[in-house]
Amino acid sequence: MSGWRAILLNRFVLVPGAIVLAIVLWNIYVATHNNGLLIGRVTDSSGRPVADATVSLWVYNFTTYEEKERVATDADGVFRFTDNPSHRIQISAEKPGVGRSPRIPVFLYFRAQDTTLDAPLRLAGAG
Amino acid sequence: MNRYPRWPVHLALLLAGFVMLVPFYWVLKTSVSGENIYAYPPSILPARVNLFYYVDVWYAIPFARYFLNSVAVSAIAVAGNVVFNAMAGYALSHGFRGKNVVLVLFLSCMMVPFQATIIPAYLITGKLGLLDSWLGLALPQCSTIICIFVFKASFDAVPRSLIDAARIDGLSEWRIIWHIMMPLSKAAIATNVILAFIWSWNNFLWPLIMTRSADMQTLPLGLARFLSYQEDTTGALYAFCVMVLAPGLLLFLLAQKEFIRGLTSGATKG
Repeated sequence: MSGWRAILLNRFVLVPGAIVLAIVLWNIYVATHNNGLLIGRVTDSSGRPVADATVSLWVYNFTTYEEKERVATDADGVFRFTDNPSHRIQISAEKPGVGRSPRIPVFLYFRAQDTTLDAPLRLAGAG
Repeated sequence: MNRYPRWPVHLALLLAGFVMLVPFYWVLKTSVSGENIYAYPPSILPARVNLFYYVDVWYAIPFARYFLNSVAVSAIAVAGNVVFNAMAGYALSHGFRGKNVVLVLFLSCMMVPFQATIIPAYLITGKLGLLDSWLGLALPQCSTIICIFVFKASFDAVPRSLIDAARIDGLSEWRIIWHIMMPLSKAAIATNVILAFIWSWNNFLWPLIMTRSADMQTLPLGLARFLSYQEDTTGALYAFCVMVLAPGLLLFLLAQKEFIRGLTSGATKG
C-alpha cells in the first residue's frame, strides 16, 4: 500500500473520522431543525377535533416544570407552538365543558427540536 | 497434544468474563431505560429503550466544555508520556554509571502514592503559574515510571548492532530514538498511549485540587458536580458514566493488539 493510503486507510484514522463525520452531520441536522416548532392535535373523548381548546406548554427548569406559554387550537383541533426552547417538556389541554387532558411528557433529542406529535391530546372528564 | 481437556479453562474464562461484563451491561442498560437499579426482581432486558437520558446530561452540565478539557489534558499527558518516557527508556536501556541507582530510585518512587506528593506538586505547579490550566492539569501525568519500563523493555529487545550501525552512519542519539527505536516499538507506544490516556482521563484528585474555575473542570469532576445537582438522576447518571467511559473503551478497542504486545514485550526475551 502506498504511503498516504497506509496513513489514511487504517482504523486509527477511519474510526475517529467516521465519528467526526457523524458529529458534523448531526449538527447540520440540529441546526436545520431547531426552530422550536411543536405541532399537535386536541380531540374529545370520542376522537373529534376540539376547536378553541387551550393548550399549555410546560418547560423543565432543572428541578421542576413551569408553564411557559398557552395557545388555542384552530377549527381542526390543531395547535402550534413556535418557540419551544427546551428538550424536555410537558403539554396539556383543556376546554371548559369538554374536559382536560393529562399532562403529557415529551422528550426531544435536542433543544427546540421541530416536532409533530403523533398522538392527540384527548380531553375528558368534563363535569 | 494436550493431556487435559481445554473446556474447563474456557468455561472458567467465560464465567470470569461474564462476571466482569455484567456491571458494564447494567450501566448501559440503566442509561437507556432509567430503571431503578434496586428493583426486585431485576429485569435483565431494558424496557422502553431511549436515549433521552443522554440528552439530559448534555444539557444539564457543560458537557462539551468538560469533554474538551479532558481531551486536551489527556492529549498533553499522552504526548508527554511518549516523548519523555521514550527518552528515559532509551537512557536506561544503555549502561552508564549509576544506572542501578536510578533504577532503584524509580522503583522506590513507584511505592510513593500520589496523595503523598500532591502538596509539593501543587506548589510547583503554582510557582510555574500553571494552576487552572490544561498544561498544569497534565503536568504531573506527563511521565510515569511504569511506562518508562515499558519503553525500556521494548528498547532492550532491539539488537545493539542496529544502534551501532546507526551511530556509524552518523545519527545522533536523538535521531536514533526517533528514527530507529520508535518505529520498532509501536507496541510500547500504543501501551504508553492507552495507559497515559486512561490514567489522565479518569484522574479525579489532581483536577479537584488544582482547578479553580468551572470552565477548567474535567469529566470526572463534572460527574461529581452532576451528582450534586439532582437527586433523581438514575438514568442520566448512568448515561453520564457511559459518556465518560466511551472514549477510553474506544481507544482500548482500537489499540488492544498493540497494547497487549507492548505489555508482554521483553517477557520472552532471553
